[in-house]
Amino acid sequence: MTTDATTVRLTGLRKSYGTTTVLDVPRLDLHGGQIVALVGENGAGKSTLTGILSGIVRPDEGTVEIGGVALRTGDPGHAQQLGAAHVSQEFPLVGQLSVAENLLLGHPPTGTRRVLVDRAAQRRQARALLDRIGATIGTDRLVETLTVPQQQLIEVAKALGRNPRVLVLDEPTSALGPVESAAVLAAARELADAGAVVVFIGHRLDEVREVAQRVLVLRNGRLVADLTPGEATEQRLVRAMVGAELSDLVGEPRTAAQDRNAFTASALTAPGIGPIDLTLRAGEILGVAGLMGSGRSRLLHTVMGAIPRTGGVMTLDDRPYDPGSPADAAAAGVGLVPEDRKHQALLLDDPVRRNVSLAVLPALSVSRFFLSPRRERAFAAEAAQAATVKCTSIEQPVRGLSGGNQQKSVFGRWFAARPRLLLLDEPTRGVDVGAKAGIYRLIEQAAADGMAVLVASSELEELMQLTHRIAVMSHGRLVRTFDRDQFSKEAVMTAATIGAAR
Amino acid sequence: MTAAPTETPAVTPPEPAQEPAGRRLVTRLAATPEIGVIATVIVLFLAFSAASDNFAGVSNLQTMGFDLAQYGILALGVSFVILTGGIDLSLGSVVALTAVLSAWLNASAGLPTLPSIGLTLLLAAAIGVVHGLFVTRLGVPPFVTTLITLVAARGAALAITKGFPIDGVSESFTDLNAYRLLLVPVPTVIFIVCCVVAWVFLERTYAGRQLYAVGGNREAARLAGIRTERRIMLAYVVSALCAGLVGVLITSRLSVGQPGVGQGWELTAIAAAVIGGISLSGGAGRVVGVAFGAILLVVINTGLVILHVSPYYQQIVLGLVLAVAVTTDRIRSRRLAGARKAST
Repeated sequence: MTTDATTVRLTGLRKSYGTTTVLDVPRLDLHGGQIVALVGENGAGKSTLTGILSGIVRPDEGTVEIGGVALRTGDPGHAQQLGAAHVSQEFPLVGQLSVAENLLLGHPPTGTRRVLVDRAAQRRQARALLDRIGATIGTDRLVETLTVPQQQLIEVAKALGRNPRVLVLDEPTSALGPVESAAVLAAARELADAGAVVVFIGHRLDEVREVAQRVLVLRNGRLVADLTPGEATEQRLVRAMVGAELSDLVGEPRTAAQDRNAFTASALTAPGIGPIDLTLRAGEILGVAGLMGSGRSRLLHTVMGAIPRTGGVMTLDDRPYDPGSPADAAAAGVGLVPEDRKHQALLLDDPVRRNVSLAVLPALSVSRFFLSPRRERAFAAEAAQAATVKCTSIEQPVRGLSGGNQQKSVFGRWFAARPRLLLLDEPTRGVDVGAKAGIYRLIEQAAADGMAVLVASSELEELMQLTHRIAVMSHGRLVRTFDRDQFSKEAVMTAATIGAAR
Repeated sequence: MTAAPTETPAVTPPEPAQEPAGRRLVTRLAATPEIGVIATVIVLFLAFSAASDNFAGVSNLQTMGFDLAQYGILALGVSFVILTGGIDLSLGSVVALTAVLSAWLNASAGLPTLPSIGLTLLLAAAIGVVHGLFVTRLGVPPFVTTLITLVAARGAALAITKGFPIDGVSESFTDLNAYRLLLVPVPTVIFIVCCVVAWVFLERTYAGRQLYAVGGNREAARLAGIRTERRIMLAYVVSALCAGLVGVLITSRLSVGQPGVGQGWELTAIAAAVIGGISLSGGAGRVVGVAFGAILLVVINTGLVILHVSPYYQQIVLGLVLAVAVTTDRIRSRRLAGARKAST
């Protein structure tokens, strides 16, 4: 295998979900012997591109050739045969099996006994795989007892063990400490030197510049830059990722926040986040930006009492606030619109009525016990209307509503509870443009009514349009807070990507 | 300087869509999921009455009333647990244990009737609390938790009695079974009361609604501020209490504490609940359905006995009924899902 032979050729790739095109790459050659870094914002198309490469995602159009052989797209088995291996951010490991068994899953130890498992050989081969990346994990430990970084290392070892010709590493170091990261990157380097194509998705720009021979930038599904490491300065990368035309989009000023603190947190810690200091005034909309895994959702869930807090003090309207469960939080006047409405918010088969009344049932009941159907119907109709939910009747199951109207139902649920603090996790995910505008109006209305609103979102434009301030999270900490007059996409992205280094 | 959004829609009092009363009844009937079970009960009841003169006679109806009280109360109890997405396999054994215990307290320990019944129900509730703690605090699957009790409670019943029935139950205890209210046996009245209480709780109280929510989507319920663990706990206590009540009724009916009663009754109760439309995945089903599911099983059982069908065949028929119920439920929910998709 010569080092500069083209080993992967992508031609005319297109992929759309519904009406949004998530990937449009006319032509891309990846050469053996190189580590190619793929960077871009959340949703830029990185995962789609690598997914196609490893057969997990089937493109609508286009072909993939690996080593001159056309890949049957959408067939992960074929991709594996052609030598593709993929280390994803989720670990498809079997928790109840040992490290060695997981490493050799589907590839029984070779040249040994036929029927019974040769445990000694299994251990030996597993050990060899782990040694390649300098991991010292015991081969007999059960995978479920391992930490996330250790599982990440096993995934990498497993992929390297197949001696792939094309290796996709999807943020392999995001969970790792510096020593492990260096070992993994060295192993990737070694594999590339042996002639393989290594595709590396990274968010830490310093790391990307250090490890890659070629840097590709994706934005909105298109390849917008193809740089050498020398050209790829941090500034240039961020600009390419963000797109200059959007970098200074700031809308009209909001309703001013009140001069009263609605919520404070000091030295708040929970598994994976903190310590965090945060102050929200009544009527203020505070955005939380950050990359995937930076702890945005965790922060919101901790404030809601859904993740147990390990330290720190919170106040709500100047009174101590100490939620042991979401029920405590709701009782104190905090509401959460979670990220995944289908799994975390809605009773899909139940009518709109039951969904909007869910959080206020005790308050709605007669003598704090009995439900009056008439009162509930009247309440639900009003709540659905206030949240501008479009439905044929409040008895329509929410499953039949559009994504936007489902989301508005969840908003309706919490507006009706009149919380002091409203937590919104990705409030417009999976919602069409029209409904998005409607949801923004609802959020602005809530703030104008005096609620404090904490919005976590991966869409920067959204936060810049909606919020008074944006707090940027990185690795579980707040690294910087921007006031509205300082808003700029580049600055926020820079803080999010290299925040840890500051 | 403040450009507050002013286009708040004027909040008008909501008006639920009204339809003509006649059409409303028909559409509501068609949309009632329990309609199939209720219709089957009526059809079978008429068929058995036609086939045998004794079937609709007072004494046979009263016997059916006793059976219905046993299976019906158990079915109501287990429905609470199934609504939360769990299962209670311990019912039959808890029936045996409470039957034996109430007899022992009354006959051997010499307690008056009411205190023995009270203490027995207290023990039943305690069993429910233990189940609830296992499921919520320790995270033991409901199947396993209640399987432990299935084995242990039966053993306890046998240990108390050393395998022999306890007799000498006082007359006031057995009176519970002997009295009639306008020809209706007291246990049947108790069953009806249980149905009403369960209906009010599940359909007309907020805690009941929260129970459905916990079964429908536990994480969503939790994040909506519902104390899911309390609701689950409540369901197991209700289920065990119902089993305890049935245990007391059995001792009253047999006038001995019989350690062998209730074998496999949990399955009959679960079957009645499922036939009545309680979804095994939780969160869906109503009291009306459970009541008629229990009635259906009793009607079939009694009808086959009266027609002198061999007990072995009776079981086959019961199995078939269950199969039909489950299949129609699947088809129905798929149709509904299809209709929903078509409507959007």
